[in-house]
Amino acid sequence: MATAAETVVRPRRRRSGLSERRLAALMISPAVLIILLVAAYPIAYAIWLSLHQYSLIHKGLSRWSGFENYSTALWGDQHQAFWTAFKTTFIFTFISVGLELVLGLAMALAMHQAFRGRGVLRATVLVPWAILTVVTAMTWKTIFDPDLGFANTMLRALHLPGGHVVWLGESGYAMAVMIFADVWKTAPFMALLLLAGLQVIPEDVYDAAKVDGATTWQRFRRITLPLLAPAILVALIFRTLDALRVFDLPYVLTQGANGTTTLSLEAQQTLVNNGIIGLGSALSVLTFATVMLVSFLYIRFVGGNIRALAED
Amino acid sequence: MKLRGSVAAIAAVAALAALTACGGSSNSSSSTGGSGKTLSADDAKNPKGNISWCIGKDTTGAFAAMVKQFNDANPNAKVKLIELPTSADQQRAQQVQRLRAKSSECDVLGIDPIWMAEYVSQGWLYDVTDALSSRKSQFIGSTIESATYQGKQWAIPFNTNAGFLYYRTDKVNTAPKTWQDVYADAKQNGGLVYQGASYEGLTVNFLELLYTAGGKAISDDGKKATIDSPEAKQVLTFMQNGVKDGAVSHSVSTYMEEESRRAFEAGKASLERQWPYAYALGQKSPIKGKFQIETLPGWKDKPASGVIGGYNLAVNAYSKNPGTALAFAEFVTQPKQQEYMAAKTTLPPTLSEAYDAPAVQKVMPFADKLRTAVEQAHPRPLSPVYPQISEAIYKNVYNALWNGVSVDSALKKANDQINQALKQF
Repeated sequence: MATAAETVVRPRRRRSGLSERRLAALMISPAVLIILLVAAYPIAYAIWLSLHQYSLIHKGLSRWSGFENYSTALWGDQHQAFWTAFKTTFIFTFISVGLELVLGLAMALAMHQAFRGRGVLRATVLVPWAILTVVTAMTWKTIFDPDLGFANTMLRALHLPGGHVVWLGESGYAMAVMIFADVWKTAPFMALLLLAGLQVIPEDVYDAAKVDGATTWQRFRRITLPLLAPAILVALIFRTLDALRVFDLPYVLTQGANGTTTLSLEAQQTLVNNGIIGLGSALSVLTFATVMLVSFLYIRFVGGNIRALAED
Repeated sequence: MKLRGSVAAIAAVAALAALTACGGSSNSSSSTGGSGKTLSADDAKNPKGNISWCIGKDTTGAFAAMVKQFNDANPNAKVKLIELPTSADQQRAQQVQRLRAKSSECDVLGIDPIWMAEYVSQGWLYDVTDALSSRKSQFIGSTIESATYQGKQWAIPFNTNAGFLYYRTDKVNTAPKTWQDVYADAKQNGGLVYQGASYEGLTVNFLELLYTAGGKAISDDGKKATIDSPEAKQVLTFMQNGVKDGAVSHSVSTYMEEESRRAFEAGKASLERQWPYAYALGQKSPIKGKFQIETLPGWKDKPASGVIGGYNLAVNAYSKNPGTALAFAEFVTQPKQQEYMAAKTTLPPTLSEAYDAPAVQKVMPFADKLRTAVEQAHPRPLSPVYPQISEAIYKNVYNALWNGVSVDSALKKANDQINQALKQF
């Protein structure tokens, strides 16, 4: 974040009153204060809670336990649950974000073309994104009901395989439905971000390339992709961090059964359902740390590569 | 560089959101033990002042009617109804938030019996043993049992519930008398559905069989797990065989109450374990007139049992007006009010005599069976760590039923997990 400040143009001194820098600091301060209040305080508090154990039996009894909750989660009694959830979360994230990127890019390219009804199409494509995730999840749960659901009824009517699969009742299939529901909902969001990126690429670059005899593929590979790279990176980060925190989908679809318990769901079940405040907070801090780490890796490696590509 | 900065900012904000979304809140104070506060019948004699009643959503208007009746009868007192969300988990979360903050807002708490032990341990409830003692015999025994923890009563039984066996009269000739008959009928004639998803409902379904077979989840003193027992092995093996031989379809692994109700109404099964609420709905469905309900059956030669549900009314230990709170809880559990509530909500009353009232018999033609079902049922384990006990049960039973885990290892794991939960300080 410090790097952002360095790029600010050096302010020139004004003749009277506050310097531009001081003024800026003053004007940002309410926002910083609010962020501290609504984000930093709960985080610090969660970390504080995670270093304690709170009694479930005796009123108000608590004790300092240092990193005991973390060791319980990482290699103690709960390590199996934690690492299973960890793996599940990454599998979900990797596949769903990958699919969303490919589909989103395809949708963005299609929407970028000039044709009649483009406005209507753009609005329509966004509908899934506008629906609340919980509602989406409920809808898919109904659709994938084994006996009465739309999916199996259709598959059976068309004599296609899978008409008797209990989608949400088997490992593998349950994860597939979860990924499917996520892709359905968020691919349009990916498309929207990429479309915005596409629209700032000047048309004359393409014209010049055409004059030079570049094929469609070459134009996509050499112009579109590099110039779209910053937008792709932002979209990827958004989606990855969102996917790593996925909660609503497994909560509604399977309650975490059949290998769909994600980190957030595990933390919520421990903290809210079971009321184990110390361990539950440790799990949410670990989730937070994971998300943080992934985002830094993104910026370091993927970000670097994309910039190199863009400067090519 | 500019890109890097803004991306870093976005990443940081999104990551913060991850933590704040999960962050819990709690309060640590230093006292120990229960509330040590008691209420006697005399405390309720002269209701006056304002109180509030926090209970799940008033879907039928019956709760509001109770409040009005009480306010009309007691001009010096005024009760306000605070409706909590429909979902039980959310209701509990809302109550716990207030209680942790020592809020006096919810003077009367509508609680699910499974929350009570935790509330008592945290010192959040008044002991109402004395206040209830003279009326105890009016209530169905199991409902008092559901309000009892460590030998004392901490709530007044308000409404109750118990599971039923629904069966198709055109497919199953007579109501099965034992669970063995249920599964045998199911295997031959179209299957049994129950609540088999990985959640609280599966704990209830499993315990109903376990109690009937003579087993228990935890010891009577609440100190250790007793679920790795011969009875539990018999029951889980029995349920597992039901899945293997087709008496119960794999679809049940995704069923909660509503899914099983819909499947039964759509004719996908000839037997169903379900709560009484589905009876009235069934009368409006395609299977209208083709089904009957019966109390849950026995286990071989052992008598029938079940698991009790419902809500009890407790008095908040931080209440500024506990006498009036108790007076209100007493008022709504009088025969007249219980009959009114039962007729309006179709939720089973806790007073035995309310089942005989013509108004109740009219909306619940099966009222006599309902009373039997409640009488033969027992509460789920009363423990401050109940959520963990239930999780240990439903997750491991689920894996044994649907994911090929052996009965022995599932029950051993459940037993270990429950013991671990009970060991927590």
